[in-house]
Amino acid sequence: MLVIRNKTARSVIIRMFPFILIPALAILGATVFDSDKHLIISLAIAVLTLFVFAAGYEKKKVGTWRMVIASVMTALCVFGRFIPLFKPITAITIITGMYIGSETGFLVGAMSALISNIYMGQGPWTAFQMLAWGLIGFAAGLLADPLKKHRALLLAYGVVTGILYSFIMDIWTTLWYSGGFDVGVYLSALVTAVPYTVSYAVSNFVFLFFLAKPFGDKLSRIRVKYGV
Amino acid sequence: MRGFTELNPGVLMIYYLFVIGTAMFCMDPVVIIISLAGAAALFVTLSEKRSVKLHLSFLGLFLIMALINPIWYHNGVTVLFVVNDSPVTLEALLYGIFASAMIIGVLYRLRTFTMIMTADKLLYVFGRLSPQLSLVLSMALRFVPLIRTQTAKVRSTQKALGIYREDNIADTLKGEIRIFSIIATWALENGIITADSMEARGYGEHRRTSFSVFRFTGADGIFLVLTLIPSAVFIAAIASGEADFTFYPAMSGIALTPLSLAGYCAYGFLSLLPCVLEWKEDIRWKYLISRV
Repeated sequence: MLVIRNKTARSVIIRMFPFILIPALAILGATVFDSDKHLIISLAIAVLTLFVFAAGYEKKKVGTWRMVIASVMTALCVFGRFIPLFKPITAITIITGMYIGSETGFLVGAMSALISNIYMGQGPWTAFQMLAWGLIGFAAGLLADPLKKHRALLLAYGVVTGILYSFIMDIWTTLWYSGGFDVGVYLSALVTAVPYTVSYAVSNFVFLFFLAKPFGDKLSRIRVKYGV
Repeated sequence: MRGFTELNPGVLMIYYLFVIGTAMFCMDPVVIIISLAGAAALFVTLSEKRSVKLHLSFLGLFLIMALINPIWYHNGVTVLFVVNDSPVTLEALLYGIFASAMIIGVLYRLRTFTMIMTADKLLYVFGRLSPQLSLVLSMALRFVPLIRTQTAKVRSTQKALGIYREDNIADTLKGEIRIFSIIATWALENGIITADSMEARGYGEHRRTSFSVFRFTGADGIFLVLTLIPSAVFIAAIASGEADFTFYPAMSGIALTPLSLAGYCAYGFLSLLPCVLEWKEDIRWKYLISRV
């Protein structure tokens, strides 16, 4: 996650990467290379996606306020990762995306993965966690209006993203273990991960149930109190 | 030359990129064994505790992963025995063992990475890429311990007021969530005050300068060369296809051409270099103590 300063480089990345480079890489990976090169390609795609995001992020002028709030939310996520069993990290990322905006949601999700892994252990999975949490936050920002209006929808989004997160991380496990994508290994990885999947979904539900509304109130209160 | 852990973080990052990158993508038995041995030796050298639990958990992980492969894969020509009409082959079993050994080797290596690359070193590396990102990083890193101390204070206050109970799960959960909510309010207000204070002092008016204690010395240069040359030899050996090992359908032998042997030696050197540096420091320390 770097911030790209050069304006032309940014516009080239935004146009080239998602529409030409990433599809080309995916097709190339499926046809030209052997199955044992899939791991390299999926890592490369994960890194490219982070680049696309970085290019889009600098487009909006980021105020000091937004930056500080992003670091506070990230710190809350990292702190929450120490709670045994229930992890509020996805829920806080969703709340951030919902109330502050897609870009900040992505930033908080990705940075939380990076920073909490300083304590938990870095690895090649860091890129995938950054991507998965970042995208969950980004999508929450895009769906902000319906999510704010209907509480049931928000809770459903939490449960679905909890399950999806586990599925995405298992794709990574499978690719790493068998070099290529193998349905059998993927299914057995999914089965062994069932307790984690359930704990992700339940903790998202619980934390969104209790925190979503209060967090929204807190943020709007702070906006009024400090006039930002 | 200094010990491995005191080298410049940028140099350490390059070393880890090479070693982990090659270990992850190479399924050659010799390379996997060297990688596992080097990584485990470095971990044992660096860790001050015995960490038996970690070794045991890695062993368990190894056994589970090694057994998944022969259960799911039935490729290979050497059938060992047949279970429920599906053959268990020697090739699939060995592939499972070596794939798990590769993963465990990388996990050990990453453990040492987490031990060596502390937050300040990561900040130094990432701060070079983007000052804004490094500011968010360093602020978040500062907020984590701040939030932890504040949580302890809030929890004792709640207990003293008699609001926080631990009678049953529902009470505990409710109490924890109330504490989290209090902390969130406090952290957000604290953040706003920080932002105001930053703006009042002229943040964003000029380019930021940053301070770091890390320098690039001659020792770092030597280490960089000692990393890059063996890496180049090893990558050449892999790219030439001479050290190409396949498991299916039948296992190919280990190639013993001059280039592949050079590649194995280079990888062995690369893998053991940090251990040697650390051992050298250890011996020197003991020698200096014995002279006192």
